[in-house]
Amino acid sequence: MTRRRVLAAAALALALPLVAVAQEPYPSRPITLVAPFPPGGVADLTARPVAAAMEKVLKNPVAVVNKTGAAGAVGMQFVAASKPDGYTLLLALSSISIIPEADKIFGRPPAFTVDQFAPIALISADPTILVVRAESPWKTAREFLDDAGKRSGQISYSSSGIYGTLHMAMELLSHAAGVKLRHIPTPGAGPALTALLGGHVDALASGPAVILPQIKAGKLRALAGWGDKRVAALPEVPTFKELGYPDAEFYIWAGLFAPKGTPEPVLAKLRDATRAAVGDADFRSAMDKMETPIAFKQGEDFQRFFDADARRLAEGVRKVGRVEDKK
Amino acid sequence: MLETLGNLGLGFSVALSPPILFYAFVGCLVGTLVGVLPGVGPLAGISLLLPATFGLDATRAIVMLAGIYYGAMYGGSTTSILMRIPGEAASVMTCIDGYAMARKGRGGAALAIAAVGSFVAGTVSVVGLMVLAPPLAAFALRFGPPEYVALLLLGLLVLAYMSSGSMVKSLAMAAFGLLLGMVGIDQMSGYFRFAYGVVELGDGLGVVPVAVGLFGVAEILATAGQPAPPSVIKPKLRELLPSRQEWRESAAPIGRGTVLGFLIGILPGSAHIISSFVSYAVEKRLSKHPEQFGQGAVAGVAGPESANNSATSGAMVPMLALGVPSGPIPAVMLAALMVHGVSPGPLLIQQQPALFWGFIASMYVGNVMLLILNLPLVGLFVNILRVPYPYLYPAILVFSILGVYAVNGSVVDVWIMVIMGVLGWLLRKLDFETAPIVLGVVLAPMIELSLRQSLAMSDGHYGIFVQRPISAVLLAVGLTLVLLNLYSFARRRSDWRTRIALAEKGEESP
Amino acid sequence: MSGVALALLAVAVLEECWRLRLPLGTLANPGPAYMPALLAAALLVSGVLIVALGRDAATLGAAGWAEWRHTAAILGACAFVAFALERLGYRLTMALACAFLLSVVERKGLVPTVLFAAGMAAGTHYLFDTVLRVQLPRGLFGF
Repeated sequence: MTRRRVLAAAALALALPLVAVAQEPYPSRPITLVAPFPPGGVADLTARPVAAAMEKVLKNPVAVVNKTGAAGAVGMQFVAASKPDGYTLLLALSSISIIPEADKIFGRPPAFTVDQFAPIALISADPTILVVRAESPWKTAREFLDDAGKRSGQISYSSSGIYGTLHMAMELLSHAAGVKLRHIPTPGAGPALTALLGGHVDALASGPAVILPQIKAGKLRALAGWGDKRVAALPEVPTFKELGYPDAEFYIWAGLFAPKGTPEPVLAKLRDATRAAVGDADFRSAMDKMETPIAFKQGEDFQRFFDADARRLAEGVRKVGRVEDKK
Repeated sequence: MLETLGNLGLGFSVALSPPILFYAFVGCLVGTLVGVLPGVGPLAGISLLLPATFGLDATRAIVMLAGIYYGAMYGGSTTSILMRIPGEAASVMTCIDGYAMARKGRGGAALAIAAVGSFVAGTVSVVGLMVLAPPLAAFALRFGPPEYVALLLLGLLVLAYMSSGSMVKSLAMAAFGLLLGMVGIDQMSGYFRFAYGVVELGDGLGVVPVAVGLFGVAEILATAGQPAPPSVIKPKLRELLPSRQEWRESAAPIGRGTVLGFLIGILPGSAHIISSFVSYAVEKRLSKHPEQFGQGAVAGVAGPESANNSATSGAMVPMLALGVPSGPIPAVMLAALMVHGVSPGPLLIQQQPALFWGFIASMYVGNVMLLILNLPLVGLFVNILRVPYPYLYPAILVFSILGVYAVNGSVVDVWIMVIMGVLGWLLRKLDFETAPIVLGVVLAPMIELSLRQSLAMSDGHYGIFVQRPISAVLLAVGLTLVLLNLYSFARRRSDWRTRIALAEKGEESP
Repeated sequence: MSGVALALLAVAVLEECWRLRLPLGTLANPGPAYMPALLAAALLVSGVLIVALGRDAATLGAAGWAEWRHTAAILGACAFVAFALERLGYRLTMALACAFLLSVVERKGLVPTVLFAAGMAAGTHYLFDTVLRVQLPRGLFGF
């Protein structure tokens, strides 16, 4: 074979799939589900069972890709900028509403905005829980808040980073209760828990799954939750709503998004697929093992939840403002 | 003690059952493979392969992941020694003396020493893990931000021993590395620093692309264009094994590296990287021939390689005893446990004895397996050097790019690696050392965050560093070291730096 | 020369801190520009010291730059890969880069070039994408 013929053959081989792609019913090729956090994190651990269950429904591979960096902004920006054809989806956490607000505060061009996404479904929504060490003096949330009022800025808490989810939960509480707490940011939810257990801070707002074993082992005490209702695994722990702080409402949630502009038929198909996926037995057992209750919401319901949540968080971020400016 | 032995018996009955043994073997094999690939270290390896274990039951999955973890630590030394590409961040120090040994035809010996050192460290530290886990874990938790500041300041002193050339140049490189470590979102205030609008820089410069660029790519850039291609080193079988003298010289460093690595590994954070830096410095300080470091000192391979392996077991202590993720790798392991419905926490050992003791036992088994797997591979790996350079370096480049890309799926990381490659090449030309830069990139974010966390804890009072016993002791140790050095520096007589400087100038040594 | 470059870099860092208006903070409450400013100062000092002490050191020209053609070509290949990886897809990019290095830079024949380039691209792709399940980018043609 001459060199030219080889080239021609190669060109032909390369061109073939191009022809095949044109005009086919959705989905006809693998779908990418972007998890903007590293493997092993909440987003990843939710994305994988979702992807596995959706694969069964859509009859096409759904691959989870971890696009990590800048507290999730890298992955979210990637999806926001990708082609709205339903082949690139995003599994986002609450931080999707926080990042653009934080960008705004610093006068940065935002990496993305929330209205670049079309919500598909909410998968889970865990309220954060206020925990302290078992040997600490506070037995109830009331005692904790009273003491915090008396010793303004003396009681410290750790968080998963500034403007991170665990920080925002505490900020919403301290504004609702009118107290001042001292914030010690750490690089993530794990180090934040370590700081509390090691006695370097006094309190922490955390998702229930992480702290349940520590509570069972008698190391930590749960004081109250940020949820609308009490957490099933901790029925004796009241909510801040019950205690008279309705503004202290916060969830660590995980939801599925597509880029804005995805055609409606594709979105409808994806909504059906997620509904079926959530009912899948394997999916349910996977979420059960992680002690993460499924909180499925779609369409109007999800949009309402998402908007309310984004509003609360935007306000929270604005109240925090630039940290250095306040001092 | 008797109870522990009984439990260990239970563990071995789990670990030696054929299916578990099989998964441990697969884990070790895949881990070695992943570790050998440049850039892909244990963290990336475990993260990438975590989803593959979702279908297994909990014990099998965790045994396999532990195998990957160990295997990657073993394998990390291979490319460092043979090609000067750090297989993972903790192998940076191995690059220096390991590669120098390989250039002298002692590559096989260096690989064998690294494997044996890793084996000793792995086995001894598992004993430590088994016997001391609960009390040590409690101690590790007391290590808060102020203690970390003290430890990291001590770590910075390491710099003084890392270089064999000009002190000022090393300091400049360290400052430069620390500055590079400042890139990204400031975790205390949320400001973007030096990111120039690139969102991907938000998390800072990764250690992996920087290390692979500064060492591996720079090496290729400098070597590929040499008029005479580097001579193909043909190892003879006899030379694969370390000589008696090399064994003697590496025995003590292996022992010290093991203890040091384990203790540092227990602490929260990316401690296994620091452990190898510290071990290198300790060996150089204690060595009778510090001038050999950088020229192929076997202690410079044995110490750090043992330390980083033993640190990996150390990191398991808080994870298994308390269910606390003390670093990024244990965090992924914890997630794996949760996926399999095991809730990690202080009660894990009581509630899941078969899992815990099976895991411990399979760590012993895994170490033996890795030694058996790695020693014959030494012969195989050394033969890579027989490949003519024009074919070898494009292949190395492909693997470097692939490894760096795979960790985060980010092209920006590839760019960082390329830029660091140019920088490393230029700096070598100008006689600067690049290891301090890597150390700086590792230390900078930790030291800054801990310092500011401490001050936030104490409301701005620096007294916090001396009021807390652990940090006070560490600071005292650091101060003593500085004073000792100043003393010997003032006396000059025993300072080997001057000896080298004088020798280089062609003057008679005093 | 190198000292001057380092000192210039330090000045650039300080300028960047100022331009972004990163708050310096106080000694008790260090701001985001605190450490960078401190480090830049250290870099500046060592840069000046290198210039002052290193008069007799090797100059830029003496270092030997004979291999610059190779270096530039390899860098070009790396830059091409970084640029094309997510546009052309993994296999195509790597095959092209390898082919360039072997045929143009190392002047190997057509057969070894094609074999090596195709083998490298397909082999590593199989190892990572298929065996280790690392998602590698696919480009225009699904490659």
